Amino acid sequence: MHSIIFLYVLVLVPFTVSIWPIPRQLSTGSTPLKLSKSFNVVVNMHSTPQDLLDAVARSESGLKSDSFERLVVGRGSADSTAVHRALSLDALVLSLDSGRLIRSVADEATVSIASRSESYTLSIPARGQARLVANSTLGLFRGLATFEQLWYTLDGDKYLLNAPIEIADEPAFPYRSFSLDTARNFYPVDDILRTLDAMSWVKMSVLYWHVADSQSFPLEVPGFPELAAKGAYSKEEMYSVNDVELIIQYANTRGIDVVMELDTPGHTTAVGFAHPEHVACAGKSPWAKYANEPPAGQLRIASNATVEFVKRVFQSVLTMMTSTMMSTGGDEVNLPCWEEDEETIDVLNKRNIAIGEALNEFVVAIQGVLKANKITPFIKGDMILTHNVPVTNDTVAVVWQSSADAAGIAERGLRFIHQPSNYFYLDCGAGDWVGNNILGNSWCDPFKTWQRAYSFDPYANLTEAQFPLVLGGQMPLWSEQSSSENLDSIVWPRLAVAAEVFWTGGTLPDGTSRLANNVTGGRAAFSRLNELRYRLVDRGVKAIALQPKWCVLRPGECDVDA
Amino acid sequence: MGGYLFSVFVLFAWVPHIYGLWPIPRSLETGSVALKLANSFRITANVPHPPSDLSDAISRTVGHLRTDKFERLVVGRGSADSETIQHARELKSLTLALAPGSPVRSISDEAILPIESRSEEYTLHIPSDGSAASIEANSTLGLLRGLTTFEQLWYFFDGQVYTLEAPVSITDSPAYPYRGLMLDTSRNFFPVTDIKRTLDAMSLAKMSQFHWHATDSQSFPLVIPGFTEVAAKGAYSSLMSYSSKDIQDIVSYAGARGIDVLVEIDTPGHTAAITESHPEHIACSHASPWSQVAGEPPAGQLRFASSATANFTANLLTAAAKLFPSKFFSTGGDEVNTECYANDSQTQSILQSTGQTFEQALSGFMQTTQGALEKAGKTPVVWEEMVLEHNVTLSNETVVMVWISSQHAAAVAAKNFRIVHGPSDFFYLDCGAGEWLGNDVSGNSWCDPFKSWQKSYTFDPLANITPEQSHLVLGGQQLLWTEQSDPSNLDSIVWPRAASSAEVFWTGATLPDGSPRNVKSALARLHDFRFRLIQRGVSAIALQPLWCALRPGLCDGDS
Repeated sequence: MHSIIFLYVLVLVPFTVSIWPIPRQLSTGSTPLKLSKSFNVVVNMHSTPQDLLDAVARSESGLKSDSFERLVVGRGSADSTAVHRALSLDALVLSLDSGRLIRSVADEATVSIASRSESYTLSIPARGQARLVANSTLGLFRGLATFEQLWYTLDGDKYLLNAPIEIADEPAFPYRSFSLDTARNFYPVDDILRTLDAMSWVKMSVLYWHVADSQSFPLEVPGFPELAAKGAYSKEEMYSVNDVELIIQYANTRGIDVVMELDTPGHTTAVGFAHPEHVACAGKSPWAKYANEPPAGQLRIASNATVEFVKRVFQSVLTMMTSTMMSTGGDEVNLPCWEEDEETIDVLNKRNIAIGEALNEFVVAIQGVLKANKITPFIKGDMILTHNVPVTNDTVAVVWQSSADAAGIAERGLRFIHQPSNYFYLDCGAGDWVGNNILGNSWCDPFKTWQRAYSFDPYANLTEAQFPLVLGGQMPLWSEQSSSENLDSIVWPRLAVAAEVFWTGGTLPDGTSRLANNVTGGRAAFSRLNELRYRLVDRGVKAIALQPKWCVLRPGECDVDA
Repeated sequence: MGGYLFSVFVLFAWVPHIYGLWPIPRSLETGSVALKLANSFRITANVPHPPSDLSDAISRTVGHLRTDKFERLVVGRGSADSETIQHARELKSLTLALAPGSPVRSISDEAILPIESRSEEYTLHIPSDGSAASIEANSTLGLLRGLTTFEQLWYFFDGQVYTLEAPVSITDSPAYPYRGLMLDTSRNFFPVTDIKRTLDAMSLAKMSQFHWHATDSQSFPLVIPGFTEVAAKGAYSSLMSYSSKDIQDIVSYAGARGIDVLVEIDTPGHTAAITESHPEHIACSHASPWSQVAGEPPAGQLRFASSATANFTANLLTAAAKLFPSKFFSTGGDEVNTECYANDSQTQSILQSTGQTFEQALSGFMQTTQGALEKAGKTPVVWEEMVLEHNVTLSNETVVMVWISSQHAAAVAAKNFRIVHGPSDFFYLDCGAGEWLGNDVSGNSWCDPFKSWQKSYTFDPLANITPEQSHLVLGGQQLLWTEQSDPSNLDSIVWPRAASSAEVFWTGATLPDGSPRNVKSALARLHDFRFRLIQRGVSAIALQPLWCALRPGLCDGDS
């Protein structure tokens, strides 16, 4: 006789919804429900804004064209009996709370960051009509994104297994963003639009556009066409005024505000292609002495002509924006660049000031342009923490070098966004891109996995009194090693992590902590993120596989401790 | 008149001769005369009864010369050459010829010859006066390699296809015959079109072997006649499997592009997917915790001590071998987990009743499976553990793939086995993307860091190998394990990095000017290769900002 020991794994299939980011409050039942053949979305509102109607039409058509089957062994066929017997949902009815102003989604998405209304309630009964109610069209738009993620496909039917569903939702932080660098390598407009679509599906609220840098200046600035004419990689690799208008409008109508960054005074070599008189140490060798990466070059901040020029450029870029926010950058300024620049030395000597004072004056001058236009200025954290420049009280700092820097910004009472390289940088871990460096790794090794990013705590090291200073955060893609060819795969689905960290906040709908042990396991966030990834692929976004499909179909069985 | 003393500093960018050839030929002479293709440019095969795959290759080259539309990577791109192109002479034809006495066989037939007897050498001459260019070789495979070189010589601007470096004289042959790429189609599935696009890109880098790691524990996508139930139940779905027709399609597509398909059915480990159709052959199937009995989930290995399982495996391999014309066939053999069998009562009772040790039983299994392959006319290929960690008897013909560490090649050579280099510390394309297991917040990939193209490029195939052993080195390959990859990122994770080893094993240690191969001079050519891939629809990743790609040397660490 053989004594056989079988080790069976009991699979607990969580019949929760796979919404990403997961709503703040959520209750579900266990009744199957399918969309009726005549299902439609009804907007119960007089004079509905066009962009809300467009959003509704996109939702309806997305629901029809999605072909995503539930991620279980056997896929959709496992649910075939349930779907066959399911009752039907006839309509989703959208309405605003009584007395609310009717404004377009785009207008709501660009009001000041502190006063946006994104909350909504969604109620899906076991049959009949679902209701989506909000205080603003932007809230309705967020609710539509949730509604779209509830359904699976089988043989032409769209169904779910967990009606009735009740959701009351709102973001923990208003600022949930992606920062894209379009200067190191260029991205065609279509790539940006596809990225905005995907961002809107996970309720992201801001595109932070790092549009120019030392390598190229692809932005057509009204009144300064020479900047892009000479600074862009080519005339095909630049964003015209029309392109920018299209991108901003496309973003805004999808609930996304566009914050432009013109990085100054460093990261500006490409300005010198058109205006060599404004750039110190341009192309100077060895670059490693004068810049963090090639080519070297920084704005001649001590020169009055340069300051006036930069002010006019900012003034012009402001006219292209719909946002109330703009960033003047400010990272990684290099002192030897200026200290060896004869023009700069002359000015400093004549005025008998140090370079630090010139830097202060420069920042005050540029921030002055924003202030005069009622624009909230963003600035990189090192301007404050390293260079101690005086900034206006309403300045928002971008904390990027380390998550540990947030506390220092908070101590100064400034608002800030989290963009820590040790959690959120999408480009880390791909090796060194500088030539002739065989053993070089990326400066921010290792690769930031989704689990690592998910473990970020926006309130770490902050006192409760400082919590209101946190506007949210963003994951950046620096593009030294990225371009159109790998945009989707390096960004998705990892970017969605920032969406949940800053939408859902510290607490999951069942009351447990989002930062608890086991939350990145397959029976928790991992299965939802896998589902989001497959939904993105279904909609034409080349999001990367996080696991073998075997694991995806068996939540939890590929956990490290399974 | 006062004299003015002008001191003019001009930065002379070092312009490399032959901007874009990848891999760079063994012997190469170029001039500085501009030449453009005539509108009537054509390629003629001066070969009696040219095989159809040679004619097809010529048609593809003519097509690429017209459609690549790749502008030279310099500031201003093609416009920088505009004046020169205007006045360039025209090249009207390229003639292909086989050396007298060479047999006329199809490229496909030449590509699957035993690896030691393949003929890939060729000569290429392009006169500067516009008279006909010529490629001569000893085989159609050599002619294909020459056509590939020819395609990489040309740039596009304003409707013209031109070079700036005529005359060109090349004598070329590979340093190593095995220049491969391994793709795992089990962890995640890749449609046939993805594999074909990858084969096209491999062919552009003169790669000779597609190592197809077809099956593993997660899925078994290979439909094998007589064993169709294995894929029917073990593939992710019927749409995610390779039919006999798909396999034939892939094999012939590869062959016509000078690529031999080495299929691997990994045994006895990495076989949990077989449990879906044949649970009787799998020990510790889906056991938990998986980490005690397997390298990754799901657990499950062939119950090799069982003669029924050994026979099943031998028959399966024999049937699979018929689908692939290659001489090579790999039975895998990596990461056999002994704990799996220690806990398997059937294995333990067989070992007890036969009085065999674990290693003796494994050796018996290997003799059964390798014997079946040899009977099918195949040269067996195994992973390194089968010779370095296990005491199994293998035929002297066996080819051993080194993967765990580049340090292990010497030990394989000491046992006098032929070697294919695929070391994880140089050639694994998947490293550095973090942990894919769930619930592991700070986990990194086991083979961190990411293997940059520079790291791969500096691999020395003869490190720690004596001159007497050097004949054992067949070549090497980069590998993509696909726990974190699928069609969404295939191109971007593979290209252009996989071209690094193509040059390591084609060009060898020395550049045509006699200097050592080095990353400093390679970068500009690799940029060129990457942009050519993009022109052909392969989404190869950017290695640097375009600013750097247009200014060779200015983004070096020391510039």
